[in-house]
Amino acid sequence: MTKFLIRRTLQAILVLFLVTVFTLALVHLFPGGPIRSLLGPRATAQQVAHYNQLYGFDQPFYIQYFKWVGQILHGNLGFSAKLNQSVTSLIAQDLPKTVILVVLGTVVSLVFGIPLGLYQAVRRYTAGDYVLTGVSFLGYATPTFFVGLLLVEWFSIDVHLFPPFAPQGQTVGSILSQPRALILPVLAYSFVLYALWSRYMRSSVMDNLVQDYVRTARAKGASERRVLWVHIFRNSLVAIVTLLGLSLPTLVAGAIFIEVVFNYPGMGLAFYNAALQVDYQVLLGFTLIATLATIVGNLLADIGYAVLDPRVRYN
Amino acid sequence: MAPLLQIDNLRTDIRLKRSTVHAVDDISLYVDPGETLGIVGESGCGKTMTALSIMNLLPTGGSIVGGSIRLNDKDISKLSDEDLRHVRGNEIGMIFQDPLTSLNPTMTVGRQIAEAVQLHRDVTKEQAMDRAAEVLDLVGMPRARERINEYPHQFSGGMRQRVMIAMALACDPKLLIADEPTTALDVTIQKQILELIDDLRQQLGMSVMLVTHDLGVIAGRADRVVVMYAGKIAESTSTSTLFANPRHPYTEALFHALPEKAAETRERLLSIPGLPPDLTNPPAGCRFAPRCRYATDRCRSEGPVLRGEQPDHQYSCFYPVGQAERGELPVVSVTEVKPAPAVATPAAETLLSAQHLVKDFAVTKGAVMQRRVGSVSAVADVSFEIGRGQTLGLVGESGCGKTTVGRLLVGLESLTSGAITYEGKDLSKSSGREYRRERRKIQLMFQDSYSSLDPRMRAGAILREPLVVQGIGNRAEQRKKVEEILGQVGLPLSAVDRYPHEFSGGQRQRLGFARALILSPSLIVADEPVSALDVSIQAQVLNLMRDLQRELGLTYLFISHDLSVVRYLSTRIGVMYLGKLVEVGPADEVYLTPAHPYTRGLIDSAPVADPQAEQAKEERGVRGELPSAIHPPSGCRFRTRCPLAQEICAEVEPPMNTFSMNGHAAACHFPLQPVVTAQTSTSATAQ
Amino acid sequence: MAIIPGSGDRVETGTALLPEAPPGAVDTAAPASKPHGLLRRGWEVFAENKLALVSLGVIVFMVLFCFVGPHIYHTDQVHTNLSQTLCPPGGQHLLGCDNLGYDQVGRLMVGGQTSLEVGVAAAIVAVLIGTLYGAFSGFIGGPVDSFLMRIVDAGLSIPYIMVIVILSVVFRPSPLVMIFIIAVFYWLGVARLVRGETLSLRTREYVQAVKVVGGGSTRAIVRHIVPNAIGTIIVQGTFAVADSIIILAGLGFLGLGVQAPATDWGNMLSGGLQYIQSGTNYWWLIYPAGLAIIITCIAFNFIGDALRDAFETRLQRR
Repeated sequence: MTKFLIRRTLQAILVLFLVTVFTLALVHLFPGGPIRSLLGPRATAQQVAHYNQLYGFDQPFYIQYFKWVGQILHGNLGFSAKLNQSVTSLIAQDLPKTVILVVLGTVVSLVFGIPLGLYQAVRRYTAGDYVLTGVSFLGYATPTFFVGLLLVEWFSIDVHLFPPFAPQGQTVGSILSQPRALILPVLAYSFVLYALWSRYMRSSVMDNLVQDYVRTARAKGASERRVLWVHIFRNSLVAIVTLLGLSLPTLVAGAIFIEVVFNYPGMGLAFYNAALQVDYQVLLGFTLIATLATIVGNLLADIGYAVLDPRVRYN
Repeated sequence: MAPLLQIDNLRTDIRLKRSTVHAVDDISLYVDPGETLGIVGESGCGKTMTALSIMNLLPTGGSIVGGSIRLNDKDISKLSDEDLRHVRGNEIGMIFQDPLTSLNPTMTVGRQIAEAVQLHRDVTKEQAMDRAAEVLDLVGMPRARERINEYPHQFSGGMRQRVMIAMALACDPKLLIADEPTTALDVTIQKQILELIDDLRQQLGMSVMLVTHDLGVIAGRADRVVVMYAGKIAESTSTSTLFANPRHPYTEALFHALPEKAAETRERLLSIPGLPPDLTNPPAGCRFAPRCRYATDRCRSEGPVLRGEQPDHQYSCFYPVGQAERGELPVVSVTEVKPAPAVATPAAETLLSAQHLVKDFAVTKGAVMQRRVGSVSAVADVSFEIGRGQTLGLVGESGCGKTTVGRLLVGLESLTSGAITYEGKDLSKSSGREYRRERRKIQLMFQDSYSSLDPRMRAGAILREPLVVQGIGNRAEQRKKVEEILGQVGLPLSAVDRYPHEFSGGQRQRLGFARALILSPSLIVADEPVSALDVSIQAQVLNLMRDLQRELGLTYLFISHDLSVVRYLSTRIGVMYLGKLVEVGPADEVYLTPAHPYTRGLIDSAPVADPQAEQAKEERGVRGELPSAIHPPSGCRFRTRCPLAQEICAEVEPPMNTFSMNGHAAACHFPLQPVVTAQTSTSATAQ
Repeated sequence: MAIIPGSGDRVETGTALLPEAPPGAVDTAAPASKPHGLLRRGWEVFAENKLALVSLGVIVFMVLFCFVGPHIYHTDQVHTNLSQTLCPPGGQHLLGCDNLGYDQVGRLMVGGQTSLEVGVAAAIVAVLIGTLYGAFSGFIGGPVDSFLMRIVDAGLSIPYIMVIVILSVVFRPSPLVMIFIIAVFYWLGVARLVRGETLSLRTREYVQAVKVVGGGSTRAIVRHIVPNAIGTIIVQGTFAVADSIIILAGLGFLGLGVQAPATDWGNMLSGGLQYIQSGTNYWWLIYPAGLAIIITCIAFNFIGDALRDAFETRLQRR
């Protein structure tokens, strides 16, 4: 098991290395170089040259790269001139709030997705199955932001049940103190995810239902309930765990869109504003953090997979 | 004495999307306490469905639509699901064909066995695990107490089947249903498992219902037999009577289709033409009539019922074969073992010579990039010769390297070391265009016809492709050649436009054969060509191979695990074990007077369709399990399972000794035959 | 990102039931059924699956609506008309006007053109690149394959939305640029899938058979691997179109996509956002564009699903 962990961690580090190279290269895509985008089109060549030297952008790529990595390892992810804040402090401020949204949204989606997926598989081809399949297909075809828009339209404007904005505030505490305003964003966030889990669960359970070992369990005298929960459910969960770990990019995308629709003061909204302002330090810093989260997520998914499936462990 | 299990007029249907398969159509049978009932038949005959019907474990869409199943006089086919659960695993245990997929991969073996106990007995978890260890020990699992915490994939095939048996017997059932329990296992392991089931039956006072397609298994293990065909019972009687005096033409034809029957004479096998009927729309009249050589109009219109002169020998035929029984069993003569004629096989010109072939496969590990940590010697110094127009049969169990040898010959694998000489020319020396031209002469017939034919290509295109690749002939000429080949293998011309999935298994094998033939090779490597086929279809393909060999002067390397088939078709036999060639020689000599203990064990383990012979081989066989291929035993690789092993076997690798003038040789320090040193140097000794 | 599993209609029997060939076939007689080509098979999918047929109809309708529509229903999509901003549906403007006075129906058509063009084109580009990369990597195998796949893994580790947003900020977005921006991330997923498929196909015996008769790798790839992988690739492509439309809509919604006076369905919705947050109910700014996206994407998903089932069952019909 340890060998497996070491191997996966080494792979993750390699991926991280490649990613940092990509990200830095991304910076240099800015026409005129990063400084120009910072200073704007009206800066003179002299000013550009001056800042290039100041920030070290006139040095060869690999030197820049190592300096940059050194910076990152010291916790310095850059400075946002537009917001007059270090990127790190921005992250410290906004990340927890986004985490709340993501965690709540994911939990809700799992709470509905897994049981309903199971139900669909057990009662396949009945009316209930078809209806839920329709819902899943809707989930695949509807952009997350549109779900948000619809929910606001229905439950905030047509029926004044919930406020159209998410809770405002700088701290986690203030966010959690307005639960009513959290409901729509969380629900909107979870809808597309629900479609994913329930579809996979249905597929996975249906695959398992026709496996030989299920027949063996029945031959031993196990009840259908036992067969489902003790044998099939556990083996189907493997698919979900892997998927969960790999779904970070989707989670990040969902966060950005929902935060924009509901004006939720998290990293997603900050990222969006940074894009509008072309505040590239923020953009890159956030991207790096999100990438790190994705890589860690993948690693956790692999570990989870190994825990649940002994064939992976003992090989 | 009332029977333990009584099935009357059972009918089972399987509902598909657009049709219904009448898989079991009016079956009646019984099992007495303490006996083994064999149910034998080819694929699609309904034997598995019958077995599954007993405890209602039918697949989706399956249901019992008629008849009764009485266990100790209680009709269990009418029970509610909840009541039936008390029977499953408790009064009746069942084991299935593939132990790997039949076990839950994420649960330890001990827990799975304990589950069986916990479902039916009021015990604590510890007590259940104790029982699990106990019963695992009973089925012959070494170090049972330790191994109950391991997972299914950590066991070998034979061990996994033992786990299945343990699970089925944990609650002391009165009846064990075994559905093809050894089909997926090696022959030597098969014997161990069948013996285990037999021993347990006697020990526990159980009955066994043994479902199989293998007549040899029936001959050796079943007290009574039921022969099924197309969802109905063709014949039912005691084992000895069945083999001595089959009355139903299907049974008779089955026996004559067995290669072992024709082993001595090497004449054409009797093949049953055609295929079993489609059970979604069964024909009126006798179901075997379309394929029966004695069928009359009456047979085609009227369905015969089970009848017989004696109550314990029933058959469903209007014009039965064999002898009418008047209360006495006919006298059976024991098959005499004729000693091999002491005649030197005519020295044929050597077509292919393999010298010291070695093929290593790398075993890799690696965190980020793969690196090589060791190797498996799939083929470890194998040498043999094949004479022109002859057949060398290469036989052995899984992991012995016979398939790899075949692949080396056709160039699908590269040699790690050694040389292959074809018609005097060293194949490894040629390259480029010449290599391609030489390649034409050695072709391969794949084992799995389904995966060896591109599902997106039509048969005609598949057959034309070799010609196109080699640049032979223009389009018209190629077409002509394709049609010619189709005729030779017995496929109709209209086959050119069909896709592989539209053919039956036997037809696909012919197609594979046709593709191997189309470049007019002189040597064909046939890798398990009939292993996946039913006996009656197998006979068709074997006859075809035999006929074309005579007609076209072909040479074969026939690879198989089935000794009887190999013996039938081969001039010479080579036996492989764990990468080594342990014995080689003329087919009859090797089979009748084997020199290597492994060969002896192999021959003893392979079930033959002769009850007398089966009884005679009680104790013999090969014990133990196949050792690891990555770290094979030192010296002689067979020594860990050999009853004759001594110290020297672990230290010195045995040399090839010869035992006759005809090139019969084996690598053993203590061979079973007297060594004969070649005093005349004319015979081609396999080195 | 939509990775849609199949509707799970696997062959549900564990044991061999059926005898080997069609009824009454004596072994030398050929089975009776029509020969199939790829196109014919594709067509059969629609014949059997009513949902797929309906979906195809929906897409055809959408295409006609967006491309032929403007010739029938004339509106000015270039000049703003501030005198009729936010006019409600009715009269001359069937679905009302947006905040710049553009007629919504016309907007739907123009936006649809962009959405469909970019969606389809991005899908094709992504699938093309991904297939070549993945097939090559899978066939070569060994350390080259490992390395190439590490690059793909690295790329997939960066949340795609962020990459796309940054690229949209860097480059001035026009429909052509949008196509590349979307394709530049999407090809990674396709590459991984195709590589997996190639790896598994490479070990198939009928590919090895080519070598036995003296054929080379080129032949094996072109004649055997590609035709057998095409099914998966086509299915992927269909889903890719739906995904691309949604991604483009997302960008448009954030205001980072095409610029005025051009628009796409997502862009139309960004107008809706402003007014939602002020609590007023301009439903015609929201429903039409959103429904257009949903209906089109569902249609593509249904077709993709049907194609996938068709290709799978084809291989399972023994």
